[in-house]
Amino acid sequence: MDKNAPLKPESSLLQPQLTQRNPTSAPPVANFASITPPHNPTTRHTMSLKLRDLIRQVRACKTAAEERAVIAKESAMIRTAIREEQEQYRHRNVAKLLFMHMLGYPTHFGQLECMKLIASPHFPEKRIGYLGMLLLLSEQADVLMLATNSLKNDLHSNNKFVAGLALCAIGNLATADMSRDLVPEVEKHLGNSKPYLRKKACLAMARCLTKCPDMVEDFCDRVVSLLNDKSHGVLITVVQLMTRVLVIDRNEYFENGEDAMMGGDYDSPVRNAFLKLVPTLVKLLRNLLSMGYSPDHDVGGISDPFLQVQLLTLLRLLGAHNVQASEEMNDVLAQVATNTETSKNAGNAILYECVQTIMAVESEDGLRVLAVNILGRFLLNRDNNIRYVALNTLAKCIADQSSGVKEEENHVGDVEKNSAASALQRHRTTVVDCLKDPDISIRQRALELIYHLVNQSNVEALTAELLNYLVLCPREHRSDICTRILRVVDKYSPSDRWRVDTLITMLTIAGRECAPDVQSSTAVYISRSEEDLRAYSTHKLLKALRDDDGSQRGLLNVGIWCIGEYGDLLLSDYSYNPPVVEEGGEGPVSFMASEPAEVVGIVEQIMTRRSCPAEVKQRALTCFAKLRERYASVADASVLDKLEALVKKHEGSHSLELQLRSCEYGALLNAIKGVVVKREAPVVEDDIFGVSGGGGGTESVSDTVRAAAKEALARMPVVDIKLVQKKREERSGAIIEGGAMDPLDGGHSAPVASGGGDSLLDLADIFGGGSPAPASPSQNGNSSFAAPAPAAAQSDVDLLSDIFSAPAAPVPAPMAPMSGGFDIFSQPAQTTPAPMVNDLFGATPAAPPALPIGSPVMDVFGASPAQPSPIQPQQTSVPTPAAVGGSAEATTVPGFTHQGLTVEFECTKPDTWNKQNSLLVAKFINTTDAPLYGLHLQVAVPKYVTMEMKPPTSTTVPVTGGSSTKHVTQTISVTNTMLGTKNLMLKLKASFTSKGTKVEHMATCSGFPAGQY
Amino acid sequence: MISFILMVNKQGQTRLSSYYEWMDMQERVALESEIIRKCLSRSELQCSFLEYRGFKVIYRRYASLFFIVGTKADLDVRALDAPGSTAENYENELGLLEFIHSLVETMDRWAGSICELDIMYQLEQVHFLLDEMVMNGYIVETNKSNVLRPIDLIDRESKKTEGMFR
Repeated sequence: MDKNAPLKPESSLLQPQLTQRNPTSAPPVANFASITPPHNPTTRHTMSLKLRDLIRQVRACKTAAEERAVIAKESAMIRTAIREEQEQYRHRNVAKLLFMHMLGYPTHFGQLECMKLIASPHFPEKRIGYLGMLLLLSEQADVLMLATNSLKNDLHSNNKFVAGLALCAIGNLATADMSRDLVPEVEKHLGNSKPYLRKKACLAMARCLTKCPDMVEDFCDRVVSLLNDKSHGVLITVVQLMTRVLVIDRNEYFENGEDAMMGGDYDSPVRNAFLKLVPTLVKLLRNLLSMGYSPDHDVGGISDPFLQVQLLTLLRLLGAHNVQASEEMNDVLAQVATNTETSKNAGNAILYECVQTIMAVESEDGLRVLAVNILGRFLLNRDNNIRYVALNTLAKCIADQSSGVKEEENHVGDVEKNSAASALQRHRTTVVDCLKDPDISIRQRALELIYHLVNQSNVEALTAELLNYLVLCPREHRSDICTRILRVVDKYSPSDRWRVDTLITMLTIAGRECAPDVQSSTAVYISRSEEDLRAYSTHKLLKALRDDDGSQRGLLNVGIWCIGEYGDLLLSDYSYNPPVVEEGGEGPVSFMASEPAEVVGIVEQIMTRRSCPAEVKQRALTCFAKLRERYASVADASVLDKLEALVKKHEGSHSLELQLRSCEYGALLNAIKGVVVKREAPVVEDDIFGVSGGGGGTESVSDTVRAAAKEALARMPVVDIKLVQKKREERSGAIIEGGAMDPLDGGHSAPVASGGGDSLLDLADIFGGGSPAPASPSQNGNSSFAAPAPAAAQSDVDLLSDIFSAPAAPVPAPMAPMSGGFDIFSQPAQTTPAPMVNDLFGATPAAPPALPIGSPVMDVFGASPAQPSPIQPQQTSVPTPAAVGGSAEATTVPGFTHQGLTVEFECTKPDTWNKQNSLLVAKFINTTDAPLYGLHLQVAVPKYVTMEMKPPTSTTVPVTGGSSTKHVTQTISVTNTMLGTKNLMLKLKASFTSKGTKVEHMATCSGFPAGQY
Repeated sequence: MISFILMVNKQGQTRLSSYYEWMDMQERVALESEIIRKCLSRSELQCSFLEYRGFKVIYRRYASLFFIVGTKADLDVRALDAPGSTAENYENELGLLEFIHSLVETMDRWAGSICELDIMYQLEQVHFLLDEMVMNGYIVETNKSNVLRPIDLIDRESKKTEGMFR
């Protein structure tokens, strides 16, 4: 620490200020090098010296560690002294503790010492004791209770200083219990003959009443006489007391639920009693104004500004929502507003308070205009402090007015608004100038005010200013400003074009910082607009993307989304001529048509940047898939091939999301082209709905499927924000926030989190924890349809194990309403709980809701397991889309066969990087001629194995091989921690009911390949 | 209501702190160092108010020492009217600025040209003085003689062995 700072601690604090303000009154500079306090009793002297020594020692410390050591040593000494009851040093020790406390060291061990000192008969000790109590103890400290008795005694003391100390302690620390005990004594002091005690009693009372609000009513009468007090000290405290009481009373009033009519007038005995005092208060204020010079209370030529401010505050509380009281104070407010001297800070403080009061009470119009003009004068002031409060107050006033007008749509409100608000608008340029102030406090305030100033007529000018400021402001504020601009634009935009234009400009400036909802709102606005405007936006965004350095993530998101959706519009020229070109307005706008290859190139370039964020990459994939569809008929084959290659490039990506999208979009594109994925060894079984796809060798994809795939890549339907918001409200609570609520990313993660519990986990597990789903259908190979799973039957959930069962797939579990949040980047809101699986990001509901539920859906990937019987858990790490049969690695281990029930385990390794982990899918095969009911399988494992079991897909095992059966399975995930040394072993216990008889069977299963499981 | 009064020097060392709203130790230390850091980073021309962690901070610099007063920042005006609202901050920033000056002037008269060392070495005395002016975050007295008279009297009486305190 620099002890040689230019300003030495010895230099007088007030010197410069005093010479500046009041040269004559500056006392001669005394040198404090010899630090001897002017008056100190001998006893205190030794003590102070000791404290001084400690302070000197601490000051001499060069490092923080040294300081800690000194304090630790001293603390130890004090503790010893406390333990040994060294009475003579008690007050000295407490004084030292105060110092240590200030430095931030623990001092709790001294709390009891304070209590002892308070009880001391010696005043200096008592005084230090009280001080220690105020500083060292918290209101919650248990020892505080012990003080109640001492306080009571001291309150009864004849010595005014002793009683004063007690009142001070009560005022600062009293708890509810203490307040109840001590209120009678405090109240007695309100009528004390000495103003010294009256003023302290007032504030002590304020504390007691805050702690025990129920006592408020009994007390109001005392106030009247106090208001006639001569002493300003008493007056200022009693006015503050009244303010407190009003606040307490109002809180009480509303808490007791007495018809919580919004903010309006309320009627309570206390308030009514105080309202009668308004004339007294007004007289008091008027007296202050006309008092002339009184040396006792003069501050810069104004008599007692502190009291004036407090009086105005109290009047504000009383006059709000009360016409009569407001009328009574009207004159005096006008007097204060016109007569107060503004050359000094004290005068401005009063004016500031007065303006606030005028705006808050039901004052006359003329007065309000006067108030706004005072603020206008403040705004022009050179002193930043004054400008700060002016901006602050203006913002408050405007907020007040706008809501006030909303509440009561009568003419008076309109007139008021017009006069005061138009007065405000006159200061608009001044406010905007404040945005350029070097002081951040001022800028923040100005910004706040500008948000309030915006209306239909000035929105364009002010938004332009806001955008300018957005460029200059610190990064951390940008996100907030973006959100505010969005709100402003949303509310007052004169035209769609301007709105979209502004938002895109904003994204080019602060796309890096802006919140996701700003991005998705922009996208929503674009999608909701006219075709012409969409073309304009897309062109503009393409240009912005081309110019950007790739860091404006928000811009990239929106831009890439738009290019994907409306990429076809980029292929033609665009020009726009504004109907009337205003002065300074923008002239005609035109964009050149782009070549498909160029568009693709731009997006590709963005995606291949090293710094490209993952979410942008994901959207870029969607964009490629969509562009492939958009350009199918216009672009060269080379471009289309490139697009396909780009989509498929990420099939092996390390990012799950990218891999998933890549595979899925690849499959969608194949479907459109009519290519059916080849299958191996199709397990042909009847579809449960009897609509089997007709066995294996189908080589072409039906038209329905192709149409559905096209539909999936078509433009997203326009999102109706209102509808979405309404829906969102309806089910808020059901959904974890950040799921469907999160406009941009909802679809990705939310469903997993919010979905219907077990079933979803099942699903995830079947596919090896969200592995790329397309792998499995390829192997199941049946060109049947994704069977609509009956929503209620959990056991059928694995039916969903189709194409899209990726983490984002909506599962029709009873309480999984996750589809379609306000997520334009994922899927649009679903209108029916469509059982068929929709695609995820950017795809429309794969089948239009019009399709009757239960009808064959589609076969986008050329296959989907209608019957999950051979659910072959897939090897997941190696994405094997479409071609490779995945069952190769699955090992089947027989469990047992008993009374017609055969249990087999299909074993796979879900994670290649974690060999210890295996997934066992128990398959239940019923070889009897009647279904087995009440199946219950229990599995025990050795200690070195951890196991997690999912519920079985069904507890009823139908006859295997029957016409409409599917296998019942149960998934067990095990982790063999001793893999390589010990083998997996299972102990099984199955119970079921076969033909009316209950069967139980126990077996051991150890047939797992050694060393692998 | 005033939440805290601090006197901190330019090196960031707290010379006096008085809290009218309970805060635990770590919080205080963090608050003090953060506020002084902010105060130091501001120039003379900038306004004397800043907002920090829900507090409105009003500060004024005298030579090497910052006098800092924290109040709870204004809540929304509308919230003030809402039922059950606990908005009770009616502090006037300019008024508090004036109060700081009044405090410094009072201390100056008490010590005869006050300096940082006076405050440091007579910590408890300054606290007594402050307690005469502020109680529980409310202003008790702003008149210099009314503040100093009892303090002087107490000091004189305590010095006498046969004073009013025996």
